[in-house]
Amino acid sequence: MKVSQAYIADPAIEAEALSRHYKGQPEPAVDRFSLTIAKGEFYGLLGPNGAGKTTIMSMLAGLQPPDSGAVRIHGMRYGRHTRLIQSKIGFVPQELALYQRLTGMENIWYFARLLGLRGKEIKSRIEQSLEFCQLQDRARQPVATYSGGMKRRLNLAIGLLNDPWILFLDEPTVGVDTQSRHLIHQQLRRLQQTGTTILYTTHYLEEAQELCSRVGILDQGRILKEGAPELLLQRSEYQNLEEIFLELTGNALRDH
Amino acid sequence: MRALLTSAHKELRLLARDYAGLLVLFLMPVTLVVVITLVQENILQLSGQRPTEICVQDDDQGPFAHGLTAYLQTGKLEAVPWTGSADELRQAVTAGTCQAALILEQGASARLQQQIDRQLAGDATSKSPSLALDLLFDPATMVGFRAGIFARVQMAAQATELEMKATRLGARLTAQAGAGTPAGNGSGEDLRALFSRSLTTIAEQSGHSSQSSMDEILNPVDRNVPAWALFGMFFTAIPIAGTILTERQSGVALRLTAMPVSPISLLAGKMFAYLGVCVVQFILIALVGIYLFPHLGLQAFSLPINPLSLLLPVCASSLAACGFGVCLGSVCRSYEQASTLGATIVVAAAAMGGIMVPVYAMPPLMQQLSILSPLSWAITCFSDLLIRGNPWESTLPDLGRLVAFSAVMLIISWKRAYR
Ligand SMILES: Nc1ncnc2c1ncn2[C@@H]1O[C@H](COP(=O)(O)OP(=O)(O)OP(=O)(O)O)[C@@H](O)[C@H]1O
Ligand SMILES: [Mg+2]
Repeated sequence: MKVSQAYIADPAIEAEALSRHYKGQPEPAVDRFSLTIAKGEFYGLLGPNGAGKTTIMSMLAGLQPPDSGAVRIHGMRYGRHTRLIQSKIGFVPQELALYQRLTGMENIWYFARLLGLRGKEIKSRIEQSLEFCQLQDRARQPVATYSGGMKRRLNLAIGLLNDPWILFLDEPTVGVDTQSRHLIHQQLRRLQQTGTTILYTTHYLEEAQELCSRVGILDQGRILKEGAPELLLQRSEYQNLEEIFLELTGNALRDH
Repeated sequence: MRALLTSAHKELRLLARDYAGLLVLFLMPVTLVVVITLVQENILQLSGQRPTEICVQDDDQGPFAHGLTAYLQTGKLEAVPWTGSADELRQAVTAGTCQAALILEQGASARLQQQIDRQLAGDATSKSPSLALDLLFDPATMVGFRAGIFARVQMAAQATELEMKATRLGARLTAQAGAGTPAGNGSGEDLRALFSRSLTTIAEQSGHSSQSSMDEILNPVDRNVPAWALFGMFFTAIPIAGTILTERQSGVALRLTAMPVSPISLLAGKMFAYLGVCVVQFILIALVGIYLFPHLGLQAFSLPINPLSLLLPVCASSLAACGFGVCLGSVCRSYEQASTLGATIVVAAAAMGGIMVPVYAMPPLMQQLSILSPLSWAITCFSDLLIRGNPWESTLPDLGRLVAFSAVMLIISWKRAYR
């Protein structure tokens, strides 16, 4: 299905016919993928394992160039405006991008310094972040001693250090308990209310249904269906996103 | 600059938490230096390191010189004629271009012949002044090497002298027989003296300008301490590579790539931190050489008059080692790969660079290849300062090579490290 994007007047992210074919793979990971996300939108990319979510995310965040196609962030292109874009986006990888031997506080300090924060600013920023991920009590212990949920929260908090315009979240809630997940949801909703654009991937369809203003269902590097969760449900005979998802992507295993 | 310092600070913090890593970084090279020096000192003293060439300045051009070079040749010691002046030869030896040199003064053959004649004439009991040959050695050569050359030169000189004596005696006997006079004063006693008393002596000298005795200057420890310290330094490449690989595997690399910082600053920060580590490593090894070695029955490591002159080569070598580590981490895909490849390269480069066996003792092909090894540039700097006593300026070309090498390594890593 081809989705028209013309109605978005003030886009935060524009992707035009992005393709990416990894060497040695039979199929392209991303195949002429187009997407426009408005400022302040909370967009969810849903898809089975290997659908190409991470690849799309990394092309949008400027981590790897597409084989073909174009990306614009707030109207700017990578290359000419890379540094400026980078200073305005937050990227939270699917992996736990933390130094296990450093404490939570030292991790935050390191990335904040790289983002150019200093002096009083950095101190207050560290405190805010620790509060955000509720790690004040464990701030001076090595990350290696944290639970999975604590690490996920810290992973997220570090992505927010520069008050980004756009936040890229690659499966931010994988492997965390209900309490941590709840906290993360709460924080993300609060962020959206302050105007941050959020692009996020997940396997938890209920979560997407609850959080996202719009979702795109993806398979084999292409968008199959897109729209606000309520609209998608209204237009179909299904009860929830999961049923739509299975209908579109089938029951077969993907990463066998 | 901020990113560089932040990155360096973080690396040191990480390292400070890694007790096992620290132990390996500092204990490994120290152990290596102590063990190898203990083992190698004797080996280098006992085994001649198969010397193959000696530069010969032949100002004599007489029968003695011809005979001597011919005998050297049969002793498997190639006599390479030196065309420059004696002073230039001394310089070449000091600089290590020539490991051993022999100077045959003008008129040496004539003088020797005169003395032989005097001995034959019965003057043998008088204390005849001998002919002294100057044998020069590169101060960086080992005892075994010098002993080997010395013995062969001495043998060749004596053989030549004997040949000359025999020819002279033969000529004289023929002349006497022709004249009908009995062999007169040529008694058995005199003949014994003629053949047993050697007229040539060999004066062993250092090519060093101070002309002090070789045994005082040469100290295998002065070569082994920097050599094995360098070996240890280059092994830090593996932990450095490890830091990059962990960052890549943990996703930190992705986060860093998404940030407005250049990978060059981050990598340079790593190099800066580990440069400090390498310098501390070297100081530790030097201290062990100075204070511990005498208790182990080894000579103490002797610092140059101005110990600070070592700072430049230590820093340049460390930089090269760190650059190599960064490149290793950028090129390899896993820690196993980096440690296997890294160890192989370091051991090969060390062997080629003259860490294990001095370059001059290698076969000619390896001697030529050795100039490709950064460890050889590094060890040359140290030998120049510590053993040859050259001024620090003479190490500039090698220092330049080391710094250029690390810059090239950094550039290779630039686009690869965090991809
Ligand atoms: N570096 C790579 N080299 C080769 N192939 C890759 C690489 N990264 C991803 N792929 C392939 O590209 C396809 C898309 O991968 P991608 O990681 O983008 O999927 P994903 O939707 O994020 O999956 P998951 O839900 O498991 O995280 C997969 O088939 C994967 O095997
Ligand atoms: Mg993924």
